[in-house]
Amino acid sequence: MERSMTLAEELAVRGISRREFLKFCTIMAGVLALPVDRAEKIARALESVRRPPVVWMHFQECTGCTESLLRANRPSVAELVLDILSLNYLETIMAPAGHAAEKSLHDTIKEGGYITIVEGSIPTADDGIYCCIAGRTALDILKEVAANTAAIITVGACAFYGGWPSTPPNPTGAKGVKDIISGVPIVNLSGCPPNADNITATVVHYLTFKELPALDDLGRPLFAHGRRIHDNCERRGHFDAGEFVEAWGDEGHRKGWCLYKMGCKGPVAFMNCPSIRWNEGTSWPVGAGHGCIACGAPNFWEMPAYEPVPIHVLTPPTTYPEVEPVKEMSPITAGVIGAAVGVAAGVAGAVAVSQIAKKEE
Amino acid sequence: MAQKIVIDPVTRIEGHLRIEARIEDGRVAEAWASGTMFRGLEIILKGRDPREAWLMAQRI
Repeated sequence: MERSMTLAEELAVRGISRREFLKFCTIMAGVLALPVDRAEKIARALESVRRPPVVWMHFQECTGCTESLLRANRPSVAELVLDILSLNYLETIMAPAGHAAEKSLHDTIKEGGYITIVEGSIPTADDGIYCCIAGRTALDILKEVAANTAAIITVGACAFYGGWPSTPPNPTGAKGVKDIISGVPIVNLSGCPPNADNITATVVHYLTFKELPALDDLGRPLFAHGRRIHDNCERRGHFDAGEFVEAWGDEGHRKGWCLYKMGCKGPVAFMNCPSIRWNEGTSWPVGAGHGCIACGAPNFWEMPAYEPVPIHVLTPPTTYPEVEPVKEMSPITAGVIGAAVGVAAGVAGAVAVSQIAKKEE
Repeated sequence: MAQKIVIDPVTRIEGHLRIEARIEDGRVAEAWASGTMFRGLEIILKGRDPREAWLMAQRI
């Protein structure tokens, strides 16, 4: 029977070489920010794992997240994911339709212990009628699927917090999974869409370590959302030097300067895009010359995409040049700044003294 | 003899589709197609910065 085969056997049948498999495991260790020697552990775990059943639910979505995974063009990664998992229900690619498709879902739910991947938000207005599959609302289906699942992985901004369908005035009362379901482990792979490598790595982590990866306070994996884009951006040097793109196509834009003034949300976005990149690691939005829109952040559609985001906390003016350099300074301004610096130094001194005093106690 | 069949969900497509058909003598006599999901992008885009419209509309 196909389901009793281990991955190692599956790979042999499909002609995927051991070298290719180990390369995949090493990439996964890298994406998960694990030491390279962990690739061996991943390989051993994956080789012996029985393919876990997975159901992939589509609600209010654009299928962009499915596309992100299926069109992953890192050699054989997508194939490997499909080999590692037993995708029992995924409307976009499954052969059965109608009653036969629903039977696959119901059989999986009855057996239990499956991983649920949710793509798209869930409409809650007017009893959830704005998304129906096989005559049932997304709200009902999600509750039924969640009742018997081992874990839920939400892919994309919509399943995370509601995404653009939940943007004011939120006509359909769209919500994310975490706002509806509780009592089940949920990991939110945010992003619009999430990077295929992050989706794969989360599944690989679950199979290798038998638990979901470490999460931040929003339930997003730390390996993907632990670092600020601004701090790892290849254009950061230009930000620090005060070199900004002022208009699309201007000299600074042609030279690859910082996109902050064009509305880049890198300073408030926590994603690993600058490190793992997109399209087989070739580029990413900022690399291609457009600002980051912080698609992994909750409610990011409510930040104006083309207006600069406030970042005063990140840029101490004593260390970095001002974004708007002061060309000429009047003696009065200089005096005011001097006084302010004096007060700040005084406060810092007082704090330091009180800390020393505390230590001595 | 008339018979009604329903195919929901229609798979291998992007989005949510339901087909209902009335069959008479082994042939489709009448058929109805429904998109069974609504998000209201047109309502959400109203009043927003036009420069952002493409970002949201490409995610339909």
